[in-house]
Amino acid sequence: MITSLNRDIMPENWYNVVPDLPEPLAPPRDSKQDISSINLLNKILPKEVLKQEFTFRRYEKIPDEVMEQYEQIGRPTPLIRAKNLEKYLGYRGKIFYKYEGATATGSHKINTAIPQAYYAMKEGVNGVTTETGAGQWGSATALAASLYGLPAQIFMVRISFEQKPLRKTVMNLYNGNVVPSPSTLTEYGRKILKEHPDTPGTLGIGISEAVEYALDHDYRYMVASVMNVSLTHQSVIGQETKKQLEMLGEHADVLIGCVGGGSNFGGFTFPFIPDGDETEIIATTADEVPKFSKGDYKYDLVDSAGVLPQLRMYSLGADFVPPTIYAGGLRYHGASPSLSLLINKGRIKSDEVTESEVKDALRTFANTQGIIAAPESGHAIATAINYVKAHRNESKTIVVNVSGHGMLDLSIFGEKQ
Amino acid sequence: MKNLIPYFTLGYPNNSRLCRFLDILPVEKINYIEFGFPSNDPRYDGPVIRNTHIVGNSNFSDSVYSRYFDYFYRNHIKMYSLSYYSDIKDRFHEFIAYLQKNRFSGIIIPDLIIDYFSEFRRVIEDLNKRGFEYIPFFSPATPDSIIKDVASLTDSWIYYGLQPSTGIEIPYELDYTTERINALLPGREITYGFGIKTDEDIKNLMKNGGSGVAIGTYLVKMIDSGDEKGFVDYINRMRGVLDA
Ligand SMILES: Cc1ncc(COP(=O)(O)O)c(C=O)c1O
Repeated sequence: MITSLNRDIMPENWYNVVPDLPEPLAPPRDSKQDISSINLLNKILPKEVLKQEFTFRRYEKIPDEVMEQYEQIGRPTPLIRAKNLEKYLGYRGKIFYKYEGATATGSHKINTAIPQAYYAMKEGVNGVTTETGAGQWGSATALAASLYGLPAQIFMVRISFEQKPLRKTVMNLYNGNVVPSPSTLTEYGRKILKEHPDTPGTLGIGISEAVEYALDHDYRYMVASVMNVSLTHQSVIGQETKKQLEMLGEHADVLIGCVGGGSNFGGFTFPFIPDGDETEIIATTADEVPKFSKGDYKYDLVDSAGVLPQLRMYSLGADFVPPTIYAGGLRYHGASPSLSLLINKGRIKSDEVTESEVKDALRTFANTQGIIAAPESGHAIATAINYVKAHRNESKTIVVNVSGHGMLDLSIFGEKQ
Repeated sequence: MKNLIPYFTLGYPNNSRLCRFLDILPVEKINYIEFGFPSNDPRYDGPVIRNTHIVGNSNFSDSVYSRYFDYFYRNHIKMYSLSYYSDIKDRFHEFIAYLQKNRFSGIIIPDLIIDYFSEFRRVIEDLNKRGFEYIPFFSPATPDSIIKDVASLTDSWIYYGLQPSTGIEIPYELDYTTERINALLPGREITYGFGIKTDEDIKNLMKNGGSGVAIGTYLVKMIDSGDEKGFVDYINRMRGVLDA
């Protein structure tokens, strides 16, 4: 694409939904009585990231250096009308998908990895560290760190590490160092390994290890999701989508996305929140991780060790060990506080889909549109297909966020391929 | 005169030590005072103030402080209670009557609009009827529409917490924060609290139109160490910084 056109579509600011919420967001809460886990964030996150997390600026200017890298990794991403899928479903309305799989690392994760690594680099720290489920976030972290010359230590949930060996190769190619989590690199990891030697691992354990590693090595922790700042950075997705729809003379009636911690979903849908209640917004989770229907809306731990402050969110409990579904990115026990609030108030609806529905949706999407979507994104596609089937006689404009590609997740299709 | 609002949790560290500090407080340098009624769940306070609630809870004795309430009232210092709604909701009218009897001017309820959102309107209107000031408590996380709604129900000053909880030091953008609240509530008295420590912060807040500051965590440290001189000097100095 021509650069000037890119800049027409790309927003100049990130959008933070908090000033536009219908009710106040509950502040984070210390996990322990005698120390402030909120204050500890000063040693865990880059200062600028922390500042953005707590200043709640509605529009946060995207630094030029970040804009440049956004273009380098493939922003703006395409918004494509899924005509083949419409035809296959016999739908009278329109289906569009925003394709975050088109970025260099294959998912939306790079949208927040770049600014976080950039701010860490500016601060002159030793390196960055994080956890990863499916490996998408680890890949984005490794690339972003590498772009800014920082080492990256990545804790990959053990089950994903075993299921997706190629992800490790990708992260290594981007100069990232990857270990299965729980690992022997941290005290917390060693403790879990001793107590549960066969644990498949969880994102909560991975976060705890990465945070401990950051504190011990003067690294900074990269926030994949859940915390508001990651949703703010991801708002490039929704803002681009709005602009692209506007250029096409279209208006979204329905927005659908998948939720792990809420970053791609919040980034995609929140820029539409100030426009009023007309657009229907649906958040899809995995049937096996039913946080919105079976979880409680309460303060809960973000990481299993309780080093980070507690957040008020929908949660299945920080010690919830989800089944080992393929969509590793959706196994997280909670969801971002701002998203949780909007779900609780009924502004955003939720849906759950089963793994077999997801596989069918991924097959249909591959067959019709040619895109092999990530299993996480397959949840959103499944909800969209179900929506169309349930509203056959309507002719709405449905926009789905396809948060990533699934080229490294093909084993989900097993022998039948 | 800008508002200088020292904060004390009643009963901390014990009744006699707190009384001693209230005795030496230079009353001519302050115009408001904030008393924390010990909470069972001070959920939006940082570790220092949290601890004062735990300790205060076991020490607090009504009879010790009524004499001080009278003393501050006679010295024209407006008293405000800091109380969590979770603690007072079951005896709300009784508690407000108690505060009014002791000549308090109003109440700050940090958890009201966060945890009891559906009740805030009723509570504020009730306080208005009783002629008791409700001091809206906002933070950068409070949505714009809520700030406007809540503020429109009262004409009192606003308590604006700059940090997610008391005594926390998270970097924030002071200029942006003050600009935003000023734009939402033009002409309204905004008093800032939470994590305020340096003279520089205070000067900048006042330069940007702030009407005063509340100081809590920083005083606890001096009370803990029994630093009476440091305490008096600090209050005197803050008055100077505020009115500079
Ligand atoms: C492709 C993809 N989509 C979605 C998610 C879920 O995360 P979030 O809810 O933060 O977007 C992940 C997380 O790993 C992912 O890799």
